[in-house]
Amino acid sequence: MSTERLYIPRGLPFELTDINLADANDDELKELSKESGTALSLDEMKRIRDFFSSKGRNPTDVELQSIGQAWSEHCCYKSSKVFLKEYIFGITSRQVIDRGDAGVMEFDRDHAYALRIESHNHPSAVEPYGGAATGIGGIIRDVLCMGAQPIALVDPLFFGPPDYPAAKLAPGIKHPKYLLGGIVAGIRDYGNRVGLPTVSGGVWFDESYVGNCLVNVGCVGIAEKRSIKRNAVKGPGDILILVGGRTGRDGIHGVTFASAVLTKESETESRGAVQLGDPIMKEPVIHALLETNERGLINGMKDLGGGGLSCVVGEIALSGGCGAEVDLSKVPLKEEGLAPWEIWVSESQERMMLSVSPRNVDEVLHVFRLWDVPATPVGEVIKEKIVRLRFQGEKVFDLELEFLTAGPMYCRPCGITKARARMKESTPKVKNRYDKELLRLLSSPNICSKEWVVRQYDHEVRGNTVIKPLQGKLGHSSHGDAAVIKPVEESFRGLAIATASNPFAVNLDPYRGGKTCMDEMCRNLTSVGARPHSFTNCLNFGDPERPDRLWLFKEAVRGMGEVAAALKIPTPSGNVSFYNESQAGSVLPTPTLLGCGIVRDIRKCVTSDLKREGNTIAFIGSTGPEMGASEYYRLVRKRSLRVPDVDIPALRAGMDVVLKGIERSAIVSCHDVSDGGLAVALAEMCIGGDVGAEIDISRMERLRSDVRLFSESNTRWVVELKKGKEKLLPKDRKVRSVRLGTVGGTALRISANKRLIDAEVDKLSAAFNGTLWRLLG
Amino acid sequence: MKASHVKVCVLRIEGTNCEEESYLAFKRLGTKPEKVHLKQLTGTDVTPEEKRSLADYQILVLPGGFSAGDYVRAGAIFAARMKSRLAKDLVEFVRAGKPVLGICNGFQILVETGLLPAMSGEMTEIPEAVLGTNDSARFECRPTLLRKVNRGSCVFTSRIPPEKISLIPSAHAEGKLMFPLDRSKQIVKELEDNDQIVFKYVDPEGNLSGYPWCPNGSTDNIAGICNREGNVFGLMPHPERVFFRFTHPDWTRSPDGPGDGRAVFESVLDYVTRKE
Repeated sequence: MSTERLYIPRGLPFELTDINLADANDDELKELSKESGTALSLDEMKRIRDFFSSKGRNPTDVELQSIGQAWSEHCCYKSSKVFLKEYIFGITSRQVIDRGDAGVMEFDRDHAYALRIESHNHPSAVEPYGGAATGIGGIIRDVLCMGAQPIALVDPLFFGPPDYPAAKLAPGIKHPKYLLGGIVAGIRDYGNRVGLPTVSGGVWFDESYVGNCLVNVGCVGIAEKRSIKRNAVKGPGDILILVGGRTGRDGIHGVTFASAVLTKESETESRGAVQLGDPIMKEPVIHALLETNERGLINGMKDLGGGGLSCVVGEIALSGGCGAEVDLSKVPLKEEGLAPWEIWVSESQERMMLSVSPRNVDEVLHVFRLWDVPATPVGEVIKEKIVRLRFQGEKVFDLELEFLTAGPMYCRPCGITKARARMKESTPKVKNRYDKELLRLLSSPNICSKEWVVRQYDHEVRGNTVIKPLQGKLGHSSHGDAAVIKPVEESFRGLAIATASNPFAVNLDPYRGGKTCMDEMCRNLTSVGARPHSFTNCLNFGDPERPDRLWLFKEAVRGMGEVAAALKIPTPSGNVSFYNESQAGSVLPTPTLLGCGIVRDIRKCVTSDLKREGNTIAFIGSTGPEMGASEYYRLVRKRSLRVPDVDIPALRAGMDVVLKGIERSAIVSCHDVSDGGLAVALAEMCIGGDVGAEIDISRMERLRSDVRLFSESNTRWVVELKKGKEKLLPKDRKVRSVRLGTVGGTALRISANKRLIDAEVDKLSAAFNGTLWRLLG
Repeated sequence: MKASHVKVCVLRIEGTNCEEESYLAFKRLGTKPEKVHLKQLTGTDVTPEEKRSLADYQILVLPGGFSAGDYVRAGAIFAARMKSRLAKDLVEFVRAGKPVLGICNGFQILVETGLLPAMSGEMTEIPEAVLGTNDSARFECRPTLLRKVNRGSCVFTSRIPPEKISLIPSAHAEGKLMFPLDRSKQIVKELEDNDQIVFKYVDPEGNLSGYPWCPNGSTDNIAGICNREGNVFGLMPHPERVFFRFTHPDWTRSPDGPGDGRAVFESVLDYVTRKE
């Protein structure tokens, strides 16, 4: 089929084409969508055709491209919005200040913090170094455009097994080890250069990520409340100033690339959709922008992310109840000869749009010149809610914003598949000793020390990281549950940051899995002494047009929403990433949560490493035979559908007990019980403290030994109590707490009437620390 | 001179990224620090009100970061920009006995500029040393222990007792101090004789250990050096990150007392306030 007759070039010195939708039949409409690279569906194309018919003209290529960006899954959340509205959006608190490109929450009387996490999966799967680096760049801009100084980065990553046989890789798929190396280097080189500490994250491994790795990037910022800006213009007459990097052909169709399944051609066809990062453009942009904002020269700002100018101009104008006129010929370019539509949709990095009153323009331009950052007035805000574009004097675009931004919203079918309900249960044999199992768990890629990754990121730059990602006695370290930043010089109030995700649980039981992720996030924050305050999430799922995948999404969101609503933890920002699929199928359904908590006084914070011989070790929470999705069952290759549930009143009570215990200085170390269960949690505390422990688990619930040792039931913590202050740990009948034993010796010894585990800490440490170095070098 | 009269120039260009915490370290001690862009000293693209003169400051600080991206040898671009326009001012500043501090990227810049080790004159034409890529060939962010070996020349460590081990963390990819290989031993000896070596990387027992206690493979475990007069000091680790106890990596084990880095800033302030 040839659609050539439907393209009508204007015959200008530059490329501008009218697209004759009026005369196109259904097949041709589909073809036109494909050729434009916009991935618009037939129904959507028809809606566009009818709209332009009513105007009595055809769209230009610039207009069609722009609609394609605005209506992509990535930009308008057309498949997810219906569920998010039902379960998540309604959760609010008086402390939510704004829900813009990043969410903004109250920190203290005078300050606010901003938070957001999003995915950069597909670009990173094609070009790991650049994809990950520009992911960081983008998330920093989201926080920055709220008027906040970025203060911390978070990076949860998901890969195929690093020892995956190369021969099994499908065509076009890159090896997990190569992806991991490139992505960590991309985050390192961008984050370190731009001067932000990477304080939290995680690395997960599973075969489902072989074809489609996940790279989630989060950022947190701080601002005085009076500096917080909306992503909106103030009113007609505002000048739109484009600042930062130049515009080029990199990153064209990034959003439509993100809204389709990866194929073996992605490597060659979509390389151009990956942008190029430049941290040394971003770093001065941060300075110049915060300085001009501080001086009250900026009315509103917004970052150029997915869809580039085409999305930012309409959105910033419409948020202020206005429209805009832009001259595309003024946009500084990387190279000559870009067509207007390319300039309009390019996702070149390091760009922001500022809305500035005319009297302040010169002063703004001066500050940017001092920092050698390009800043160019490109347009003006108008009263009508219309965007008009000119290029070399020619009108190339004239669209009502209400149409452009009214992307479709779908209520797609979703449902459980039969295969899922039929899974068989199996249980391992009871054993006398579990030393070997503990060592194997500690060295498994999902549990082992991530020091190989963590130390490549600067987690202390800015000098405010009070609780670090790696914790322990000097020369020894284990994972902490959350990091704590002290963001305000004059105050001891702290902001705790934690990451949580459990794709294994979500995959087996998405509703309980969603709840589990929330529980883990709350446990992590509580462990350092922080009260959970808000969270943002990145929901990485498969193709939403397939009912079983969408069902996973819906159920996970329902579970998460239930816990968040009960605990009144709002989510002022979030991101959905669908189409995480390759030839081999979907990735595990992977919601990643970035939780923020408030610490009243950072000097009370605790870490996970055991502190002193003779101190008591206690256990808070209840354990059940919920072995579904546990690391132990994956290790011994057994299956159970019993995914841990969350008892919300117990969670609330448990958090109170731990927080009060920390505030009263009774608790001197604390670790949440998650992957690998109690035995792994204890081992990690011993490794960080370089000291042993004598543990008796016979006072726990009557359960099989392996369940007591390795169950991943929710809402549980291990705490070390300071000698003489044990009684200060509060009691609450909604939450169980039992004495486990004492700190001391050089080995971790666990028994219940008879010895179950007896392992030297050195040996545990070697197992825990060796894995990634062995796999990655 | 009173502390409140001490003006500190915290110099930056694009990619300098530790200026805020360096600025705060001096501010907390009651001095008057200011974040100054290099263009404010050279007078490029600035208004008359923004223009600054190096001679008006008592202390010059080159903070850490990745100035201009460090896409060539770390610190080389900042050094070249500074040297081409400010060489005379810098030499005068140093000759007047005013202190210059270079932390991490700042140390790299001082070496690239020729202000360190400066074994002959205030500023050598070409660098006499280099901060090469770490032996591990990667960026490393980790706690490091430094033993003070300086015998008294360095004005930035007067408050630190001899042989004391301080916890001052490192975060760099290019921190391996090296000298021309054929003369390395002789140069190290000369530095020792001149009392130009200030800090060495050690293990918790105080021994000159290898990786990871020495994070980069530096010659003789050297972490920081000064010029012969002791008023120009550069080190790879970051004292500004441990100004307070609660940013020490293991502070929850021993929460009392000041941060180990604070003494560096107090020492130089002692020197400046006593001087005039």
